[in-house]
Amino acid sequence: MDPDPVVDRSAVGEGTVVPERGSRLAQAFRLLRALLRHHKRLFFTAVTGAAVFAACTVASAALVSKITDDIIGPRFNEGSVRARTVVSILGVLILLGVIRAAGVVVRRTWAGRTAWRVTETISADVVDALVAQPVPWHRRQSTGDLITRAGVDAEAATAILGPMPFATSVILMIVLAGVWLVVTDVVLGLAAVCVFPLLIMLNLRYQKKVDAFYMTAQDELGQLSSAVHESFDGVAVVKSFGAEARETERLSAIAARLREARMSAVRLRSLFESLLDGIPTAVNVLLLVGGAYRVRSGAMTIGDLASFLYMFVLLVFPLRLIGYALSELPHSQAGWDRIRALLDQPIEPDPAATQRRVAGHGVTLRDVHFSHDGERDVLAGVDADIPGGRTVAVVGATGSGKTTLLHLVAGLIAPSAGEVAVPAEGVALVFQEAFLLAGSARENITLGAPVGDEEVAAALEVAEASFVLALPDGLNTVVGERGVGLSGGQRQRLALARALVRRPAVLLLDDTTSALDPATEAKVLRNLRAALADTTVVAVASRPSTIALADDVLFLSGGRVVAHGRHHELMATVPSYRTLIEAFEHDREAMEQRVGGGE
Amino acid sequence: MTEPISRWSAVETIGRGVRAAPALRAGFGLTLFLAMVGAGGRVVVPIVIQQAIDHGFRDGQVHIRTILVLAAFGISAVALATWAQRTAVYRLGRRSEEALYGLRASLFQHIHRMSIEDHNEERKGALVARVTSDVETLAQFFQWGGIAWLLDSTLMLLVAGVMLAYDWVLALVAFVVAAPLAIVLRMVQGHLVKAYDQARQSNAEVMTQLSELVSGAETLRAYDAGQHYTAKVKEVSHQRSNSFIRAGTIGAFLFPSGEVFNVLTVSAVVCVGVLRGPASGLTAGAMVGFVFLTQRFLEPIAEFTEVLDMTQTAVAGMRRVLGVLEIPIGPPEPDMPLTLPAGPLTVTADRVDFSYRSRGEDDEPPVLIDVNLHIPAGQQVAVVGETGSGKTTLGRIIARMADPSAGSIALGGVPLTRVANADLRTRLTVVPQEPFLFEGSIAANLLFARPGLTEADLLAAIDTLDLRDWLDALPDGLATQVGQRGTQLSAGERQLVALIRASLVDPDVLVLDEATSSVDALTEVRIAHALERLAEGRTTIAIAHRLSTAARADRVLVLDHGRLVEDGTHDELLRSDGTYRRMYDAWVAATSS
Repeated sequence: MDPDPVVDRSAVGEGTVVPERGSRLAQAFRLLRALLRHHKRLFFTAVTGAAVFAACTVASAALVSKITDDIIGPRFNEGSVRARTVVSILGVLILLGVIRAAGVVVRRTWAGRTAWRVTETISADVVDALVAQPVPWHRRQSTGDLITRAGVDAEAATAILGPMPFATSVILMIVLAGVWLVVTDVVLGLAAVCVFPLLIMLNLRYQKKVDAFYMTAQDELGQLSSAVHESFDGVAVVKSFGAEARETERLSAIAARLREARMSAVRLRSLFESLLDGIPTAVNVLLLVGGAYRVRSGAMTIGDLASFLYMFVLLVFPLRLIGYALSELPHSQAGWDRIRALLDQPIEPDPAATQRRVAGHGVTLRDVHFSHDGERDVLAGVDADIPGGRTVAVVGATGSGKTTLLHLVAGLIAPSAGEVAVPAEGVALVFQEAFLLAGSARENITLGAPVGDEEVAAALEVAEASFVLALPDGLNTVVGERGVGLSGGQRQRLALARALVRRPAVLLLDDTTSALDPATEAKVLRNLRAALADTTVVAVASRPSTIALADDVLFLSGGRVVAHGRHHELMATVPSYRTLIEAFEHDREAMEQRVGGGE
Repeated sequence: MTEPISRWSAVETIGRGVRAAPALRAGFGLTLFLAMVGAGGRVVVPIVIQQAIDHGFRDGQVHIRTILVLAAFGISAVALATWAQRTAVYRLGRRSEEALYGLRASLFQHIHRMSIEDHNEERKGALVARVTSDVETLAQFFQWGGIAWLLDSTLMLLVAGVMLAYDWVLALVAFVVAAPLAIVLRMVQGHLVKAYDQARQSNAEVMTQLSELVSGAETLRAYDAGQHYTAKVKEVSHQRSNSFIRAGTIGAFLFPSGEVFNVLTVSAVVCVGVLRGPASGLTAGAMVGFVFLTQRFLEPIAEFTEVLDMTQTAVAGMRRVLGVLEIPIGPPEPDMPLTLPAGPLTVTADRVDFSYRSRGEDDEPPVLIDVNLHIPAGQQVAVVGETGSGKTTLGRIIARMADPSAGSIALGGVPLTRVANADLRTRLTVVPQEPFLFEGSIAANLLFARPGLTEADLLAAIDTLDLRDWLDALPDGLATQVGQRGTQLSAGERQLVALIRASLVDPDVLVLDEATSSVDALTEVRIAHALERLAEGRTTIAIAHRLSTAARADRVLVLDHGRLVEDGTHDELLRSDGTYRRMYDAWVAATSS
């Protein structure tokens, strides 16, 4: 685990602080250790492949000296060469080439395995944490942020694992090549070896700078995307105010910022990449000059010199990639930090555990308080006794705490004070907005519960949702975002069936039937009565027709139960209730006046 | 896909793309020449070595002077090539960024000028994708693929040229032995692309599942379905890993096959070279040079095969982008516009038909059929009808968001097709069903209607609609932030902002598409009142979803399956016992307690 994530994050996040190389390597090492906890073997297989590759690369470059001195030299200067020599040298060359290729295959394959298996492990941990955290925790998070962490960040964190074995092989290659170069010729070897760190440093510097530009560009691109989204969404407004030209200008200005950010990157890139090509070539030419002196003094052969230069050529490309590999480090570290931040949060207690479980089908609330922010009480001392088997309409103005009340009874949230007692047999809540998951209609109804198709069909019938059976593939029809489109009312009836199939002791409906037309709504409510005689139904309602179908009304105002009784009693005795119901009927009254006036 | 995608060939697409983004062509010849010079840097080392071996180490002696002269030439060549490569890459990068910017700007302009019917829900996402991800595909291409085309192709040509100049027989041997590599790479690449497609699909699946696990957290909790869905997500995540590992394994063979071909080619060249010997004119330097050149020649091939696929993706992206630019722009501006008469305006529809062109299929039923109507100036009209009756569309074509397929609409006697857009937008305003607000303050959203108004102007308009008390109750008044798409405000408040915004235009014709979303009672009263104030003295066409609005109107038009079936006052229509009467009865039943 990362012992000091805060310090590291600030260093990475701002991008202006240049960490020392030591700390950067140490950081890479810590990150690797954290990521590889469960998949060390995969990673070391990849590193082994990389080592084979490195060794063979150096060996094949060394072989160029043999080709030059033992084949080309004798043939072209002395006139002949033994066939056996040619065959054996070239045989070794081909063999080395094949082994080297095999090393690459092993390295790349296992590097990929490592990265993806680690991603899988991390995603699983994240998913477990997400599911374990209760609703109040989820409400404090931004949905988009959580999705990013579980998906994108898990991938970003492991991005370093792909190029890592390659980077180790490059380091190994540099060491081996350096040793070979020095052993072949101390003077020239040392000169060549000095160039490697310089090139690596130039490379890292460049990667860091260019990354900053690309990061800015990525930001600008994000802003452009959301602006474009917004602008095209609002196309009707844009048109109705004749603002087409203004919008084009606004979006173009953002696109111009993106262009400028990219342009800075291009400027830097064109210079550095050309230098990273040109400098090694120039060094190579200089090495040739130095080599000429060494050959003259008899310290090395022409073949050695050719090998020397060839080795240099072979190393230039990997050297360029090491900068790329290390440039993944800040992204991976940032991704990992964000994942850790999520995983390190303690799992909060389950609000349902605060409920008292009682026998029977009734629901009792005793002096229940609830507040989102700890300051303003949404519910300020609710007392209610709902006897089993009754149908109760919860009525109140917007913001009176109706939905909160239902969520408390459902055990999704815990009261800040007071007690909620619910039947041990279980409560099912149908949300205001039906949420369908991508999957079959059956899966959306059962949500993994072990119920048969007959029970599903029965629930659908009560919910007036038998249309599901008539869909192209019946219960197997894929619904949800990427499946067949269902209307708001259809979704709600499906969601209702989801609750019914569990045969709950208490059914909570959060304005569930509002998306249905009044006739269907009435049918559904009648079906519920007939099918669930002893189930307690608590329904948030705003339509007079819905309220009329309930046994009792629970009237909420200012976070308290102002009245609990039959509708007509409340109309007669509670003036504020009467005002509210009249507001609901405002439309109708306005019309009746108009109709009356017209006749 | 419902949108038209150009079916041009790759070459044609590139040609058209270059015409749509002329920055790409500007100075391209010079860029290409510089790239050629830049590639020269890569053959400096082989040539210098060949020269050194053949002339510098002649006859067992080391001729330092020759070597020094060679090195001086070599270093100068490298310096020149480095500069040339930098300039070429920079020129290409700059031109392509300019081109992409130009392409985006023309897309913005074009898309905003397209008819509202081309902006239907199913296409919105596609349009956004054209401007963002498709243009990004092109950007990616220019950042890597374009440069690779430029540098790699010139390098390969140059290396091949040098090889041929040294010894054409050996060069041919090298080409023949190396050629199958290209074929092997293409084959691997084919599998690779498919494998990655599959991997990307499984990735999308994981992202969907994850996003549902998060967005549906409350539902999953309420139904204790967390475990079930966790297992599901873990399964798709495992599948994703498998498919990426599979793709990675295929990809792992790409680079090494180049390595194998490298040693094979070097061996073949050395064998043939040794057989031919110095008698053929071949030198030892050229032989060693060949070993270096083979490496240089094969290096770009692997990259090239990737670039080919990138190019295909980019061409496909370009094709889609051009496809959007091909969609005709919305109601066209008149050549010789007529000015609308001053004062309140009449609205006339003459034999209007309408069908949605962009929804494609011919069997799509027309949305409006033979609609004729005349609305006198200043009249308050309500249009009612069931979902799909065409009432929203009627509002849209009166506002000229789209033109009728047949027949015509006239304002104040002037056909809409002869009215300049700028003129129309100051005389007619639409308040849409779900008012759209831009992220920003309330003031900024109001100013969208008429930039340049002062705060006092805005407050005056708010006073006129009797909404001052509402505004004052907001935390920051006019500066209150509305959030993305206005979500910080309630649905009712968004409608209030839209009403104020419309009133700022002070239009003579008002098209109101009534909201369906439920609103709390107090806001409901406010909206109704503000609407009344706004409609005063203007010709008003309300697309009514509630019959109370119809009851208040001077006149009710009833649409049924695209036809105007009833036209009269509320009372008349109630008495006539037709479509309207049936709708009314159903509504009364719903609202009775």
